[in-house]
Amino acid sequence: MGREVAESCVDSVVIEMVSAYCSRLYSTHPEIAARRIEAIGFQVGHQLSERYTMERPRFSDHLEAIKFICKDFWSELFKKQVDNLKTNHRGTFVLQDNRFRWLTRVSYDPTPANSDVSPASDPSQVVDKAAQATSMHLYFPCGIIRGALTNLGIPCAVSADISNLPACSFVVRIKV
Amino acid sequence: MEDYAEEIRTPPVALVAVVGVPALHQTISAALHVEQPPINTLALPDFSRISIMTSKQKETLDSSPPGGIMKRDWLAKHRTKIPAVVAALFNYDHVCGDPAQWLQVCTDLENLKAVIRGRNIKLVVVLVQSTVNVDTSEDRLIALRKRAEIDAKYLLVFVQSDPSELKLSLNRLATVFAELSHAYYREEGRKIRTRIEKKIFNSIELYVRYCFKVAVYAEFRRDWAEALKFYEEGYNALREMVGTSTRLPPTQRLVEIKAVAEQLHFKVSTLLLHGGKVSEAISWFWKHVGSYKKLTGLSNVAFLHWEWVSRQFLVFAELLETSSTTIQSTTSPLSKKPLTEWEVQPAYFYQLAAKYLREKKHCLDQTLSLSESSGESGGTKAGESSLESVVPSVYVGQFSCILEQEEAFIMQPLTDEEYVLYAIAEGKRFQESYEIIALLKKSFDLYSNAGALRVASYCSGQMAREYYVAGDFSKAKHLFDGITDLYRKEGWVTLLWEVLGYLRECSRKLGSQRDFIEYSLEMAALPTVSNSGMITTDHKGECGPAGPTSQQQKEKIQREAFGFLSGELQLFLNEGTNSSIDSTEIQPIELEIDLVSPLRAALLVSVAFHDQVVKPGVPTLFTLSLLSQLPLPVEIDQLEVQFNQAICNFTICKLEHPSSVADSSGPLQTETIPNLTLVTNKWLRLTYTIIAGQSGKLECLTVICKIGTNFKICSRAESPASMEELPVWKFEDRVESFPTKDASLSFSGQRFIQVEEPDPQVDLLLDSSGPALVGEDFVVPVSIISKGNAVHSGELKINLVDIRGGGLVSPRDMEPFSPDSLHVELLRVSVSNENESETGLDSIKNIQQSFGLLSVPFLDIEESWSCKLEIRWHRPKVVMLYVSLGYLPSNEATAQKVHVHKSMQIEGKTPLLISHHFMMPFRQDSLLLSKIKPATDSEERETLALDEISILAISARNSSEVPLRLISMSLEAEEEVVVKPSGEVSAELAMLVPGEGFKWVFSVIPQSAAPSIGVGTVSLKWSRDLPNSGEIAPRITTKYKIPVVKVERPPLMVSLECPPHTVLGVPFTLCLKIQNQTPLLQEISYSVMDAQSFVLSGPHNGSIDILPKSEGILCYKLVPLMCGQQQLPRVTVTSSRYAARLQLSIAASAVFVFPSQPYFEMDGKGIKRLPATSDTQATLSVT
Amino acid sequence: MIVCVAVVGHQNNPLYLQSFTEADDALKLHHIVHCSLDVIDERVNNPKKTGPTLNETFLGLLYPTENYKVYGYLTNTKVKFIMVTTDLDVRDVDVRNFFRRFHSAYVDAVSNPFHVPGKKITSNTFAQSVRAIVKSFGSSTAV
Repeated sequence: MGREVAESCVDSVVIEMVSAYCSRLYSTHPEIAARRIEAIGFQVGHQLSERYTMERPRFSDHLEAIKFICKDFWSELFKKQVDNLKTNHRGTFVLQDNRFRWLTRVSYDPTPANSDVSPASDPSQVVDKAAQATSMHLYFPCGIIRGALTNLGIPCAVSADISNLPACSFVVRIKV
Repeated sequence: MEDYAEEIRTPPVALVAVVGVPALHQTISAALHVEQPPINTLALPDFSRISIMTSKQKETLDSSPPGGIMKRDWLAKHRTKIPAVVAALFNYDHVCGDPAQWLQVCTDLENLKAVIRGRNIKLVVVLVQSTVNVDTSEDRLIALRKRAEIDAKYLLVFVQSDPSELKLSLNRLATVFAELSHAYYREEGRKIRTRIEKKIFNSIELYVRYCFKVAVYAEFRRDWAEALKFYEEGYNALREMVGTSTRLPPTQRLVEIKAVAEQLHFKVSTLLLHGGKVSEAISWFWKHVGSYKKLTGLSNVAFLHWEWVSRQFLVFAELLETSSTTIQSTTSPLSKKPLTEWEVQPAYFYQLAAKYLREKKHCLDQTLSLSESSGESGGTKAGESSLESVVPSVYVGQFSCILEQEEAFIMQPLTDEEYVLYAIAEGKRFQESYEIIALLKKSFDLYSNAGALRVASYCSGQMAREYYVAGDFSKAKHLFDGITDLYRKEGWVTLLWEVLGYLRECSRKLGSQRDFIEYSLEMAALPTVSNSGMITTDHKGECGPAGPTSQQQKEKIQREAFGFLSGELQLFLNEGTNSSIDSTEIQPIELEIDLVSPLRAALLVSVAFHDQVVKPGVPTLFTLSLLSQLPLPVEIDQLEVQFNQAICNFTICKLEHPSSVADSSGPLQTETIPNLTLVTNKWLRLTYTIIAGQSGKLECLTVICKIGTNFKICSRAESPASMEELPVWKFEDRVESFPTKDASLSFSGQRFIQVEEPDPQVDLLLDSSGPALVGEDFVVPVSIISKGNAVHSGELKINLVDIRGGGLVSPRDMEPFSPDSLHVELLRVSVSNENESETGLDSIKNIQQSFGLLSVPFLDIEESWSCKLEIRWHRPKVVMLYVSLGYLPSNEATAQKVHVHKSMQIEGKTPLLISHHFMMPFRQDSLLLSKIKPATDSEERETLALDEISILAISARNSSEVPLRLISMSLEAEEEVVVKPSGEVSAELAMLVPGEGFKWVFSVIPQSAAPSIGVGTVSLKWSRDLPNSGEIAPRITTKYKIPVVKVERPPLMVSLECPPHTVLGVPFTLCLKIQNQTPLLQEISYSVMDAQSFVLSGPHNGSIDILPKSEGILCYKLVPLMCGQQQLPRVTVTSSRYAARLQLSIAASAVFVFPSQPYFEMDGKGIKRLPATSDTQATLSVT
Repeated sequence: MIVCVAVVGHQNNPLYLQSFTEADDALKLHHIVHCSLDVIDERVNNPKKTGPTLNETFLGLLYPTENYKVYGYLTNTKVKFIMVTTDLDVRDVDVRNFFRRFHSAYVDAVSNPFHVPGKKITSNTFAQSVRAIVKSFGSSTAV
């Protein structure tokens, strides 16, 4: 399929979606907003995995499917492969992307905008708040990974970890 | 396969005959039977019976066309009557006996030869001897051989006396038989083969027959390849006959050809399968079926054709199954064609056999109904009378009529009409339904053993259908019920619909109203198959009794069900079978819908509390949501909601029917609502307030739906948060809405709520003061003040928990309950009440190390009660103290317990840090060898000099945050040391503010040398310094054990003698005394370093020898040059024997220089003089 | 001629089933498709030891019934495609080609944002493209 869209459009849609759910639709219930965003990601991942696995033989085990996510699937979505894959061989996989494309534009302002309140609040709180906002943006890719893996017959739970910003690691825990 | 005669089913076995000497027959036939290949024996006891082999002469080559293709009994004849070899057994005595006997032998032999001559049967003569070494007369033997006209090797001598000889004889016999029978069958076969090759036959029937015979002879010889070749040849020729032969009327002709084809096919298949060529056999089979399947013949005998086809499948299935053991081992390498493993499943062939048998039944029914409608004609009557005389004729696949004419039976050919009548009459006698079911059952069993659930279900469904057609509804229902689960689970709506349609009809026929309603509701609530092209408009019985799945059908079914319930429709009227049920009367029907019921689609009940916790007596919102997938709206008359707390139950009913409720449920709460109608796929949401009665869990259990007077649906309530999707509907693309308006409630709503206890009206106060100190009994006063509630049967629970979760017991300590191992301990609870005797009686006191439980006496409102907890810390630790009070606010039986919890963090601190310190007396040092060469394993143990005074300083520092008062201190010395001062030393109530320290000095003289000697234990008594001095705080003793020391005898002692102070410019003497305590001469070298502040006279360095047990003295005269604290010149003494150096510490080698003679007394407060030491040796001050 | 095509979900539930016959054998075709799931199960659980066909999406001829041939295809996402044909002489290439086109039509259908994963396919566009693929089956070898 040759239909393509500009990357900036995808970025804008993702950012707009997150902000719509977080600040407008469910501003008081961040957990429902997260759930909704994750569900959208799930469907997208579900459908994308359907398309991207079309011309390949079936995967014989979980590791093969995860490798597919790390290589081909990631390349299709983010134009690069996952940088590091770790596993404990008991159903947990960590996919680390040192420069996660959807986070490259994310930064937070160290000097808070509304300065009348914040002098009292310490800088770690600001960082916390920013991390929370960023994590809202990660429910969507988590949902995508979960949707793709679920569609490949691997029910799992996916969480993301952002320790230093452009890098991001996704933790996949396969349900048994 | 059982229908086939034995001779067809099994491969032919060579036959030999034995005549004469009947005593041996049993032995011989048994021996031949176990030969490889086996030989069957025809035993004729004497020669009079040999005529059995002389059957009538055959017709061989007459010109008239044969009456049929194959004779029915030909094969049987060759297998049981006509032997390949005849063995004539003669007793040796008879042969060599008197002439009369010999003559008899000759006659018998002649007769036998006459019989076998025409058939070319081989002859063997056996001479039976009782023993070996009877000399045989050659003449007689030759004569016998001549008479029999046989080769010498076919005249055998049979010895029966000796077992080994007998065995040998039998073997000889068997070899000869095998050879001769093989020759016989070969010759016979060749004879007929030449006829085929020279085309000496005038009809194709004969050709087929010859092929068959050649093949059978080949089989006798076990020449499978040739047998197969000729069977196939005959089969192919036969197939060509279908259009050409005109000998018989068409129907019978076809029947005959098929019968022969069946036999030939069977032989071919058997040979192929036994040869392991499974794939060939299967493709041969399909060819066979394919070439005959179209030959149905006339429509009125089509059933015969289908019966035949069905039999082909059945027989092949049985063949496959019996040879399946060989298949498994050989099939995989052989298969060249893309055969799947499914095609070799016998189950598949059984299934097809059943299918064609059903086809046969269908055709037979048609034929019967046709003949019945036109059955009045007289011709049939006449025919029927003659039918009884129809028998199978001599030819395979032919029938003829036996007519009795003048005491003889004449076989008369039948006309086609007669034959058809006969066939129909025969066909009527069988019950195909049960045969079909048996076939399907077999197929079902095989499939389910192979784990093919779905195909097995299909077979099961087909069986059920047959039972249904046969009118056995309960069996049909049982089978249908077994397969619905699979279809439900996998969401095959069309298949489920068909099965449910049958089930609904079955339960109607069986008169089970409840089942009928259940199946009807389930069907009506199924999704409609949306693919328009899936079901075409024209249906002919394919869809089962319920017709196709469509919206109209569903609506019809729902209308029927509810119409029946309301009494408008009478569906059970027409059934005569269940007369026991009065069909006009409808029993009350109560359906139950649980979490796995398929009827959830018809009625789904979801209930959710809006809150998660609630206080008793406080109203909370509760939403009841109902969903139905039934196609038509359902009017509910009344809803009953039931909880686990019956007081909360309530009913909802329509406005029109308030009267019907009022009488039935007096105490129940009743709500009314204008409309209670469920519309397809639309939640009916009803929200009410509920007031929980008791604390604990309030759970909604069931919702009972009443429709009309006789119908009740009892549904388990489900939480929206954990609601499963509807099994069949979950794959449907439908509009899904939430059971509650609030989406988040749909995600998290639960059908139960936690009801909290009421708010306590009692205060629980913990009054503590500051940190606790290790060792003291720390007191925590607890007071209970009732404000609004009286306290009945109150109970106080006390719990001490380590804040780091490590437990209050050190894990390393092995004894679990020794008080030392316990870090923090709850000692006792003292109740400080006036009337202690009363409380002491009924109070339950249960005190453990970290847990306490005691009862609280009754307290009326505004009363209070208090107690004191005493807790002791053994180690410094932070502890949480939890105190909770449980009580009943009233003494009624319904009263519920109320709890008040309080907690407090208490830190246990060490009050005093005690440390110790050893030193030598001032300006004195001893050479301790272990100090010079520290032992490798030494654990930093102090070393003291034996019999010399060592100074022990003990300091105590207040490390707590409160001022402490020291009372006294004592050092309990061990036996090996002398300590001064001994006993208790008062500290004179020295007060220590936080951070302040206090020191004591003891002198210690070790009495014996040993590597480890205990010095003693320090006991320090102290108390808190209470601000209001009226009270006296309890005294607490803290113990401190001084670590063990090492004691050794020093070889050398050095002491410096010098005035305590000097005056500028006034000379003084500095003496260094070196005491040799050893019995050896010690050589000492010394060196003095100049000091700036003094002028020194004396040698700077040199060496002296010190005699044993004596003292060497170095004396210097010094003149101070500067004032103040000045460093004396440093003198270093080196013992050459020990290669050790002694040097006094810098502090010890300093002296204060006054500018001029001082004029004050060196005496005052704070200066202590130890009595044992001189002024110059030690001055210690307490700071 | 192809008489029936079906898409079966990973819980063995029918997602799409379309027959192309005039006769009223729809129910029979349902049964055939449903029974063929047993064969797919067996194929997937006990794959043949032969190397190249291992884990291939195309499962080949599932089982020949008397009048039909049933072919199967299993995607990576555990969705099964089943095709029933009356042609007795079918070339493997044609069937593979058919399934390839069918798969891409399926992917287009489920990528529709209004399609909910795991639910039946009700798209008309899908039905049309399936009809076109079925019609062109066997007529052109290389598409």
